[in-house]
Amino acid sequence: MFDSVGPHVVMAASSDENHPPENITDGNTKTFWISTGMFPQEFVLRFAEPTQISGVTVDSYNVKHLKIDKNTTQQASQFEPVAEKEFECTEGQLQSNYISLNGSSATQLRFIIASGYDHFVSVHRVSVKY
Amino acid sequence: MVKLRARCLVVGDAAVGKSALCHTFYSDGTLFQKNYSMTTGVELIMKCVNIPESSDSVELYIIDSAGKETLVETCEKMWGQPSLLCLVFDLTSQQSFANCSCWMERMAAHCKGLQIQGVLVGNKSDLSARREVQESVAKEWAQSQGLEYHETSAKEMENCDAPFRRLAQAFHSLYQQRRDTIQNLGPA
Repeated sequence: MFDSVGPHVVMAASSDENHPPENITDGNTKTFWISTGMFPQEFVLRFAEPTQISGVTVDSYNVKHLKIDKNTTQQASQFEPVAEKEFECTEGQLQSNYISLNGSSATQLRFIIASGYDHFVSVHRVSVKY
Repeated sequence: MVKLRARCLVVGDAAVGKSALCHTFYSDGTLFQKNYSMTTGVELIMKCVNIPESSDSVELYIIDSAGKETLVETCEKMWGQPSLLCLVFDLTSQQSFANCSCWMERMAAHCKGLQIQGVLVGNKSDLSARREVQESVAKEWAQSQGLEYHETSAKEMENCDAPFRRLAQAFHSLYQQRRDTIQNLGPA
């Protein structure tokens, strides 16, 4: 179950009811959230309070270009870019990428999947390093 | 229940009936604009298609793009990354059929290496006396390009749903396949 201080998904651009966005933060790479068509795709993680974050590890499949924005308020406006990364294609197995956020403080992180190696991409786990 | 979203690009030479086909599909065969009005940019039409024998649906974001040569370059900037292709030609114009391979090349440049499922549509099937492209020829070329072939008459509201419904179904099948693949993936 949720780590009480860990982030929760508060928004996702796609939803298959059998693969809800909550699967991103359940700590299990067997469960996943899947996009249901077109790019960009995004989801937002919210922390209970402003939190210093060293980086995040994203376990995914067929994600090509990922951008991360952050904000430091409870409102979902005024995001600013903090990091972006081009993932390698890993056919037949999950991608696992660490993205440094340099200890930035954030209340919300927005993950924007700008492009993919396929029409549909999945995110299995986002783990946060504090 | 899943709602998928697909960006469906509609291309082909000017005046082959792309907009008429899109509008006929959009209006469930109640609207055929008799006066020709050339599309000079890109028109976006959204329609949701239910997938038979499931509770799933596909929202088609149909991008009806101008076919006139001088406008194409500007329009291409608005194509984005297509999920599906609907390539249209005029059954009474051999030239519009011959140009289909150019349209395929143009489209490929926007696909970023992704495979795009598509249909080839021969429109104006009502004008049988003026037909210049035989069904067998069009079908063969479509197959060589991995496209499914359909003939329509937007004017007579004939068969205009079929190409779009097939595209929606193809996208839905692809989704199911990919989802199954992801379910069976090994760890990183």
